[in-house]
Amino acid sequence: MGKIFLVVPDAPAEDVAQLKSERTLSDKGIRLGVLDNSKGNADHLLQMIIDGVKKEFKVESVVMTRKPFSSKPATDEVLDKLTKEADLVVSAMAD
Amino acid sequence: MSALTTQLKETPGALIECDDDPEAVYELLCAKGWSDGLPVIPPTPERVERMLGFCDRDLDQPVVRIPPRFGAATPVRVAANAVMAGCKPEYFPLVLLALEALAEEQYNLYGTQATTHPCTPMLIFNGPVAREVGLNSGHNVMGNYHRANAAIGRAVRLALVNIGAAIPGTGDMATAGTPAKFTFCVAENEAANPWQPLHVELGYPAEASTVTVVAAEGPHNVNDHESLSAEGILTMIAGTMATTGSNNAYYASQPVLAFGPEHAATVASGGFSKAQVKQWLFDHATIPMSRWSPDNIARRFRRRQAEQYANAPLDTPIHMWAKPDDLIVIVAGGAGKHSQYVPTFGVTRAATRALKRADGTLVKSVQELKRA
Repeated sequence: MGKIFLVVPDAPAEDVAQLKSERTLSDKGIRLGVLDNSKGNADHLLQMIIDGVKKEFKVESVVMTRKPFSSKPATDEVLDKLTKEADLVVSAMAD
Repeated sequence: MSALTTQLKETPGALIECDDDPEAVYELLCAKGWSDGLPVIPPTPERVERMLGFCDRDLDQPVVRIPPRFGAATPVRVAANAVMAGCKPEYFPLVLLALEALAEEQYNLYGTQATTHPCTPMLIFNGPVAREVGLNSGHNVMGNYHRANAAIGRAVRLALVNIGAAIPGTGDMATAGTPAKFTFCVAENEAANPWQPLHVELGYPAEASTVTVVAAEGPHNVNDHESLSAEGILTMIAGTMATTGSNNAYYASQPVLAFGPEHAATVASGGFSKAQVKQWLFDHATIPMSRWSPDNIARRFRRRQAEQYANAPLDTPIHMWAKPDDLIVIVAGGAGKHSQYVPTFGVTRAATRALKRADGTLVKSVQELKRA
């Protein structure tokens, strides 16, 4: 049987910059960031995670943020706030 | 060998070899995940080059990037999908036009691709090019049979899957999806429209050829063989629109009403303008809040929309969309006493684009885009 070539109809993923975190945790504890994606039960799930982290680790602060809609990206303001005020961020998808 | 074939052979990953057999091609493409599950035309370089005969763009420059993968939709890649879908080359400008409209921010392509909701792009074409390429606006307008409707909508869907990676369970998280994900492409029946066609209503000249994209569920039929008045038909439509499971009750999105021509004629002869139709249906397509479950009342309305509903009585009427003018009204289909209601996704707005040449002038015939 003969051979043919086909044009590949897909596309590779866009190149994404890989960021290496150089954050170090202070003796005061974790600055925990939370991004609620606004799904129905995301707040409940995140509160459970916050409570769990506080039981296991020393937590200096918790910064709570929320997306207006689950299907849209977080705003620049929210991302800037988390960048400045959190050492790590937990997001949630829950319904 | 053509210049394009030579170029693709020199581009790593641009081509894949396969047995010269339709079943082998089908098996390979399905195995690779480059599929909607149905058989396809093999996207050979020669066919892709013919498809690009109606494209005035740089062939390797992305027209758009398609989420969630944000793959680069170059004309070559889109043309491969158009070949697979069964497009004629003269359909290709409409495929690109639809993808450009989908990429407009207001449409929220990322959200609509990835959501659990069963939405898919509904492509509504207006203007002379739709007629020129044979897009059906009459009988069975939302159904099967007509090649242009089937292939243009399918090409767009294949591009969303193959280039954007809207793959069920990973990039497309639809709980159940919709049969409309194979293709959902219509032309407005402008000849049977007693009002302005959609593109003219939106400010485009009648001679413009446009696509309006809507993040749609499948259509829901409105059967009314009995009403003899405008108010009677609108009452039946309002009843069909008013459903508690619709996203449109919660978000500022834009559902579509596609009047069958006979219903449209009766409503127009009753003295209703299109704006009055929208207002009447906004006022009457309502459900008392008490029809939702207690958890939905507590969370959807009283908590999330507290400004409006925190202390509202249970008989408060809930409108099916946010503002009267948000309803998109078109006329589509053939003879018969049926209209179609098309609910939509939540956080999305329709986007409309006109077909233009590279210099920005409106295209009146698709032949203007044929490469020399």
